Amino acid sequence: MKKSYWIFATILLALLLDRAGGLLLAKITKDSQFRYSQLYNGKEEADILFVGNSRGLSFYQPYAEEKTGLKTANLSYNGMPINLAAPLVMDYLDRHQPPKVLVMDVSLIDSQRMDNKLGYQFNHYSPYSQRLSDLLKNKFPNDYYAGLISHLYRYNSEVFQRTFYYWKKSDKDWLLDRVISPNMMEDVDNQKLLRFNYDKNMVAQLAEMVKYAQQKGTRVELVVNPYYPAFIPKIGNLDTLLGDLNTATGLSVKNFENAVTQTEAFGDYQHVNKVGAKLYLDKLVEAGVLETKTGMNQQ
Amino acid sequence: MIFNSLTFLAFIAIFLPIYFSLKGNARLWLSLFASYVFYGWWDWRFLTLISLSTFIDYYLGAVIRNGNILKERKTWYEVFGYGMLMSVLVLGLNLLSKTAFPQLSYLEYWYFPTLGLWLTFLVIYLTNKISTAESRGYRMMVVSMVLNLGFLGFFKYFNFFTDSFDQMLGNFGMHASWNTLNIILPVGISFYTFQSMSYTIDVYRKEIEPELNYLKFATFVAFWPQLVAGPIVRAVDFLPQFQKDHNFHWNRVITGTGRVLWGFFKKCVVADSLAPFVDQIFHEPNGFASINLVIAVFFYAFQIYCDFSGYSDIAIGFARILGFDFNENFKTPYFSQNFSEFWSRWHISLSSWLRDYLYIPLGGNRNGKFNTYKNNMLTMLLGGLWHGANWTFVFWGFLHGLYLIAQRQLGKPFGSLMSGLRFPSWMKSGVNIASTFFFTCLAWIFFRSANFGIATDVIKGIASFQGFSMVNVMNKFTVMKGFLLIGILLTIEVSNIRMHWNSLAFERPSFRVVAYATLLLLLAFFGSFGSGAFIYFQF
Repeated sequence: MKKSYWIFATILLALLLDRAGGLLLAKITKDSQFRYSQLYNGKEEADILFVGNSRGLSFYQPYAEEKTGLKTANLSYNGMPINLAAPLVMDYLDRHQPPKVLVMDVSLIDSQRMDNKLGYQFNHYSPYSQRLSDLLKNKFPNDYYAGLISHLYRYNSEVFQRTFYYWKKSDKDWLLDRVISPNMMEDVDNQKLLRFNYDKNMVAQLAEMVKYAQQKGTRVELVVNPYYPAFIPKIGNLDTLLGDLNTATGLSVKNFENAVTQTEAFGDYQHVNKVGAKLYLDKLVEAGVLETKTGMNQQ
Repeated sequence: MIFNSLTFLAFIAIFLPIYFSLKGNARLWLSLFASYVFYGWWDWRFLTLISLSTFIDYYLGAVIRNGNILKERKTWYEVFGYGMLMSVLVLGLNLLSKTAFPQLSYLEYWYFPTLGLWLTFLVIYLTNKISTAESRGYRMMVVSMVLNLGFLGFFKYFNFFTDSFDQMLGNFGMHASWNTLNIILPVGISFYTFQSMSYTIDVYRKEIEPELNYLKFATFVAFWPQLVAGPIVRAVDFLPQFQKDHNFHWNRVITGTGRVLWGFFKKCVVADSLAPFVDQIFHEPNGFASINLVIAVFFYAFQIYCDFSGYSDIAIGFARILGFDFNENFKTPYFSQNFSEFWSRWHISLSSWLRDYLYIPLGGNRNGKFNTYKNNMLTMLLGGLWHGANWTFVFWGFLHGLYLIAQRQLGKPFGSLMSGLRFPSWMKSGVNIASTFFFTCLAWIFFRSANFGIATDVIKGIASFQGFSMVNVMNKFTVMKGFLLIGILLTIEVSNIRMHWNSLAFERPSFRVVAYATLLLLLAFFGSFGSGAFIYFQF
């Protein structure tokens, strides 16, 4: 028996260090300036709330705030699926004064381009949200229970890496800032047709989120963010998607797919860079999707 | 069943206590049963194949040494009985499921393997009939080779060769009319086939006595720790270890556990963290900035190393706990200063197998330069083909053959040049290690690519230097994590040369507790779980 003490000691030490590490990382999560930490701290008060996947990062906050004079928050994340976006938006609405407008890029309604496993990467936020906790328990039970056994496991994700990265700095300028490569420009004709794959459930989740925001008194704007001009013919069934969303939400989706025409304003086929983001935000203001502080005061 | 799964956790939790509570044949039966469960978890229909392979090599091993054994009527009854049993078993499996050969009817699925089975016995019978007492051993060894390589060839290479032949005919404006069979590659077939072959060859060479205890032999072939992805354990090293019971020993548990944890760290923490970035780039490399391609190739070098050596570590660790010793399969190969050294440190069980059963019988380096080069090249080409039915693997083998030849030709002039430059020795070693690693990575591009088109796209993309800037690095967080983990791995491996961490963990319980707890925490904090199988399962 004496020879087996080291096993118990190893497990005990691992558990102790796990809990101590978990406490430390929970503190970092709480103090971080990353968007979701701010969300769950209730410190992300904003007039305009943006949501989307990586394309939603085109809502470049510094310029949006400069252009409108209003405070913004952005809940977008690479590969964001609607079943995660909806609880995040609802949690935001529950913890803050409802924003004046919620702008959502609907191209996240696409099962092929969304990251189905992103939900479990939000494990470290699950203690702060019943909705996230339920999502994890239902969709990723192994990860959920592993997170209960090892607290460090909750922080084993890229989302936590970003939480840590933005511990002491703002994430508001997060944007894909590069210029599309000449190779990609030349190769655009060889690209496969982009079709939006979605089901009724995804549309219903979006509609539920829209309704929840509207009940809180928030105006909701559904938009399609810009695509690289030569890539637009490769987009297959966008009109069908927009029609289905219109039926489900009663809102007409504003299509800005060709709002930016300069090729150097893109990082790749689906993402504008900083130049493109600014051009796009100008268009959103022109179209009345985003109001300016002066315009609101005049009203 | 894969090591990094909850199923395996349950498997080991049940297996270990029962294993150590049994002795003698009961323990062997348990080991064999557990090994078949371990293998059958993936696809239980292929248990018939491993069982057949075991049966054939067991009998041929006995016949090679003692030709008279087949004269005994009882032996033929056993062979006939086994054949009938297998036929019925295959029919039963077929009735339960028919997805192994989806385009074949139930009847075809039954008679196909059954026909193969009886043809196999017929070949053995006829070879036995036409052989004299002097020639029987050699002929039966050849039959064993043909049958083992025949199984391997059919399951692994049938479509590859028919497709390649069809493509070749197409180049001459002709077209073959056969259909490709939808053959499933049985997991680990290359490993256990080579393991069984080493047995019959060693028996023929009189390096070992034939194992007449079927239970021991079957357990040797199917022993679960190394069954599906090696190391390829030689009969001469492994079979004698079955001659006695291995009692539970704390020393073995201590060192074995350390090895298992280290293997899991390599696989779940390093390899599986690097895999998504590598997969994304190699899926369609066009359009990615060259810096991403360079990072992907670098990451792949470490992914495959950690994936495969991680498996070996886990296998060696569990075998050690169970009382068995396997030879080392990897010895920090990326610190090799030339390619001969690389092959003495990378997948040692395969490279030494190829050396002993192919390179040396071909003549090795004994018959002049040309023959040495030819033997080098042939061994590496077959080594490449062993990995998979794809010309990219063959080309990978070709490149390594070329490196070995170039090293023989240019090694001395290069050495003289380095001496002339009067670099300090650490710098010389550094240059040698870096250049060996560079060329190894170049070959990995072909190994990882699904076809030559992708490989050339990767090389062209890197050579263009387009977008070779940090700004263009995609998935920066994944990349940062990847470099951090490679850094941790290298720090531990380099410091191990001086510190001998495993010995330290064995000698000092306090260090052991801290080290093992740290590995557990690293697994929890960085590990990727559920991302799937080990790369070498497919080989």
